[in-house]
Parts: sequence; C-alpha cells; structure tokens
Amino acid sequence: MTAPLGSMEVDWLGSVRYADALELQSQAVADRIAGNRGDRILLVEHPAVITLGRSSDPANMRVTPDELLAAGIDVYEIARGGDVTYHAPGQLVGYPILDLDALGRRDVHAHLRRIEAGLMDALEVLGVPSRRVEGRTGVFVDLARSGWGAGPDRKIASIGVGVRKWVTLHGFALNVDLDLAGFDAIVPCGLGDVEMTSVARERAPDRKAPCVGAAWAEEPSSEEVREIVGQALVGRLARGTTLEG
Amino acid sequence: MSIAVELPSLGESVFEGTVSRWLVGEGEWVEVDQPIVEVTTDKVDAEIPAPSAGVIESIHAAEGDVVEVGAVLARIDPDGKPAANASSEPARVPAPPTAPEAAAPPVGPASAHSLDGPAATPVARRVAENAAIDLREVQGTGSAGRVTKDDVLRHQSGAAEMRAPIPVQPVQAAPTTPVAAAPRKPARPAPTFGYELQPGDRVIPMTPMRRIISDHMVYSKRTSPHVGTVAEVDLSQIVRLRNKHKRAFQDSYGIGLTFLPFIVHAVVRALREFPALNASVTNDAIIEKQDIHIGVATETEKGLVVPVVRNADRLSLAGTAMAIDDLATRARTKKLSADDLKGGTFTISNPGRQGNLYGFAIINQPQVGILRMGEIAKRAVVRSLDDEDAIVIRTMMYMALSYDHRAVDGAPANGFLFRIRELLEAGEFDL
Repeated sequence: MTAPLGSMEVDWLGSVRYADALELQSQAVADRIAGNRGDRILLVEHPAVITLGRSSDPANMRVTPDELLAAGIDVYEIARGGDVTYHAPGQLVGYPILDLDALGRRDVHAHLRRIEAGLMDALEVLGVPSRRVEGRTGVFVDLARSGWGAGPDRKIASIGVGVRKWVTLHGFALNVDLDLAGFDAIVPCGLGDVEMTSVARERAPDRKAPCVGAAWAEEPSSEEVREIVGQALVGRLARGTTLEG
Repeated sequence: MSIAVELPSLGESVFEGTVSRWLVGEGEWVEVDQPIVEVTTDKVDAEIPAPSAGVIESIHAAEGDVVEVGAVLARIDPDGKPAANASSEPARVPAPPTAPEAAAPPVGPASAHSLDGPAATPVARRVAENAAIDLREVQGTGSAGRVTKDDVLRHQSGAAEMRAPIPVQPVQAAPTTPVAAAPRKPARPAPTFGYELQPGDRVIPMTPMRRIISDHMVYSKRTSPHVGTVAEVDLSQIVRLRNKHKRAFQDSYGIGLTFLPFIVHAVVRALREFPALNASVTNDAIIEKQDIHIGVATETEKGLVVPVVRNADRLSLAGTAMAIDDLATRARTKKLSADDLKGGTFTISNPGRQGNLYGFAIINQPQVGILRMGEIAKRAVVRSLDDEDAIVIRTMMYMALSYDHRAVDGAPANGFLFRIRELLEAGEFDL
C-alpha cells in the first residue's frame, strides 16, 4: 500500500461529531497498521467541542464543564499531545494517518514540523503570511509581514498528534472562518499571552496583508481552502517530500 | 527473566518524555504490542506497546514523571501469572488494541454521544440508515468484525457472500490468562506477488531509500511514455582538450578533469536551444523552465542518488567540474542535504562501467528527459580525409536520450541530441 511519490489520498468527510471522528480515526489507524490502506489525510469539521489533550491543565479551562454543556459545547479528554483546544464549524480539522516507520521518518517532532510547514505553505497561498514561534508548536501569523501590526502573537492553527506503532493520528485545526469568541472559554493550548485568529480575520479588508505573491485576491470558498490546505499538506507529508525549502 | 520496556527514541530532537497515563497496572497480563503506557513529548502523545506478552512485573515511572529515552518504564515477565486482584478493568481486555478505547469517556454528563450500538463505523451507520439496511444482517470485515461502509454497500448489492470474513486467529497465550479467549487482529499479510519462497532464498527487506527509488521508478514509467534515441559521438576533440589541460587543471583546482563536465556543459547549451527538453508536464500544460539545474545520477553505497548542479548554465567548465566533484564527494560521504537533491530540470546518468555500450534510463520525474552516457572507447570509424574515405581510430561514446513523448516529439528530441553531439565534436570549450 504505497502511494506514488509525492501523492496521498485526502478525504473530506464533512461535518463529523467529535466522538464519531475519534472512531473514524481509530479505524483508519487500524487499517493503516494492518496495511489495508495507504497514508492519507482525513479532513473534517466539528460541531462545537472542547478537547483536552494529555498535557491539559484544568486551570486552562475558564468555564466549568457544566456551563459548556449548557451552551451546547461538548468536552472530551483524548490521547493526543497538547493542552486544551476548541473546535467549531468554520475550522478545518485535519487528521493525517501516516505510517512514519514505513516512510522512514521515525521522528514525531519532525512530523509536527511538517504539519506546520504544510499549513504555512497553504496560508502563504491564502495571503496570510505565517511563521513558527520557537518552542510553541502551531502556526502563528507573521506579524512582521502581516501589515497590521504588532501586539501579542496571533495563533491561526493548533497542532497536536498521537502515535500508535508509528502510525499518526490527530493533527491540526486551522481557523478558517469561525466565531473566535468560542476560544474565550479556554486558554488555547495553555498559552495565556496568545490571541487566536482566523484566515477570514487576517484577510479582512481593513487588515489586508500587503500584496502576497500569488495570494488569492478573491475570497476563497471553503472548498477552495480545503483544496489548498489538502494539497499543501500532501506536499509536506507524502512520501518523497521534504521538510526544508 | 523479565523483559524491560524502555522509552524508545521518538525522534532526533526528542530526548525525554512525560509519562501521561498508564493503561495497565502491575500484575496485569498484556499481549505483545498491546499499548501499555502513554508518553507525551511536546505536542505528541505516543502509545508505547508491550514488546512481549506477559505479566507487568513492575512499573518504574509514575504518571507525570519525566523520563529519558532508553529509561526503563516497566518490566514484563513473560512467564508470570496475573495477580488475582489485577485486571481491574476486564471490560477493556477482550477488545483488540485498535478498538476505540482511546475515546475516553466525555467529561461530565455529555454522554449523549454514545459510542456503543452495533459494531459499525459511523459512515457505515449513516449509509445503512439511508438505505434502510439492518446492520445486524451485514457481515462486518473491519477490525474486530466491525461493519464498514464497504460492507454495507456490498450487502446492498447482494454480494455480501462474495467475501469471506477475515479469519480470527486464536491467541497462543497461556490458557491460564484471562485474555486467552480474546480475538486477535489478523496478522499483516505478506505480499508475495505470486512467488513462493523456496528453501535457501534470502528475503531482503527494502530500506526506505530502496522503497523511494522503487516507487519513483514505477511512478515515472507509469506517468511518462518513454521514447529512446541514441547518438554516436566522437570525443576525440574532448580527449585532446583534456590531455592538454589535465595537469594545469589539477594544479589550479585540485581535482581531475573528467569527461562529465564537458557533457554537462554541452547538454546545458543544447537545453538553451531546445527548451522543450527543460520542462515539466502538469495536468494540461507544459512548463518550460527558465532555470537549468542538472541532476547527475550518482551511485552510492545506499543506492542511487541524483544530486543537482544548480544553475549549471551560469557555471564555467571549471565551475561545473568543481560542482560535480563536490556533489559526488558529499554523496559518497553521505553529506548531501535535501536541497542538494531538489529541483533538477534535466538529468545526466553516467554509469561509467566497462562494457556499457548504451542503455535507456528512466526519466527522473517531473522532468521530461534524461541522457545516459555509454562506455567511452576507441573504435574504428570511417572519416573522409582529403576526399578519401579512410578507417581511423577515434574515441567514441554512445549517448542515449530517454524523453517523455507527452511533451516532446521525435524531431526536437533528435535535434537536441544531435546538437549535443555537434557541440562535443566541435570541442569549443573555454578552459
């Protein structure tokens, strides 16, 4: 089950409840371990939900679980790295199911860096210059190039993964166009000094980035965003691709 | 003898991890490969599987402990008997390790999202619901017999009996263990491609590098219709040049002067005149590239690599020679970086072995052409001297061009090859 170099299956599954997505991922990981399927990326969107990673600190919840439930937001504790995060419609969530061992990449941190690189590639195309912040996994807006200002770091994508027998699960959540107020319920990723942002917010007319090469002048549709993100991730995660450059 | 479970290396930059959760307790029986502990490092949560079946004899790191790579997390006694009070969660045990046990229960009363029900994937459930199919009638072939979408569709098309259920192997564990009856994930089938192993055969697992080469070759052959064409080139002028400058070159640059930089130089000049060969094919377009980066196929201990001479058209002959020498040296000493291997626009292969008359190389995707050098040898050829045909001895080489017929037709391909020959035979190179 090896795909051609530089290619990988990307499946858009639409809106999937978090619990169902966990099950889908478990199945996908089992299939990958058994060799029934090749490497692939599952793309989904979740109804509003808060998830707690293994390193979650209860102090990073600003409201109680009961209050969240009353607001129609579910809470799950899951086996992935990272702290607490929030998913909602308008956020593109990706689950790369890769066999790192078969790829000759037994390096979980390099996997994080590759996901970051793919998202940064996609954001460049979308006209949102982005960068990494040393010591903080995830993707942040490149303030120097964004054209609108200093201030606290603005985080646009969160990353947290799990591995079972070198097969990866969980992945990233890219804020495309969602109500950022939802993040107020938590301290995202346990980072108190970080502001959450989205592609839509960064592209808002009054905050338009200075002309970024081939950036999309038109507002991209969610389908186009998925296409761009999917392709960019494949470009960094598929067999034969490199992290550098 | 107990077996140590160590924290495995999780990557180059990973030196330690935090024990986030024990999935088993002391005295509990575990199967080989069953995840026994979760370890977190940065944003990664890794499940550490049991290296052997047995009883967890002792646990050496508590939840929250930071442990170094190589540190012992637990010890497993393969011959041990589970403690009477162990296995406090018997419900977990019959499930195969890949079951959604990681889907920890939602916090608080949010269990409206029940994960139980018929053993089926959510997609399968939705498809079945839409098609009004009773899942209980569908033969599941997913992990642990779970019904998948394909199963539902197969059932719907009445072909449910076409596929036998995956056989469940009994566990070989000691019958005294509480999990003896647990079903086990079927082993990964070893593909044989129609070949039955014979006594004395040696099975050599592919290295990642071999696998990449293998994938790439298959991909290229499937993607590009290869056409081959061969030219014979007289290298006498190059031999003359080389003999004349060999020593001075060695003195000035510290490297020998081989034939390869001349070939690269001639190819680069010909590519300028035939941009169709310096191209890539996309879905519905051909991209002729401005830059010329020449890949030089190099054999190394670990296999074939193709380091790239960047902007080869901007280099002098000496510059080309030095770039090739540098790449070849680093290829042999494994010092090539990913950048050295990227972005080639045309490739030259120089197998350089005696007796290699000519042969056709496989195109290095996403390029559209590759030139393969044959053996350089003295041959008797016919030349006209003072209007008289004569048999003379010349240093000759066959060059074979493989090109992608999607992008390039015969006439330009042969024109390109002929031009390389012309340049080499004219021998006009600045040294």
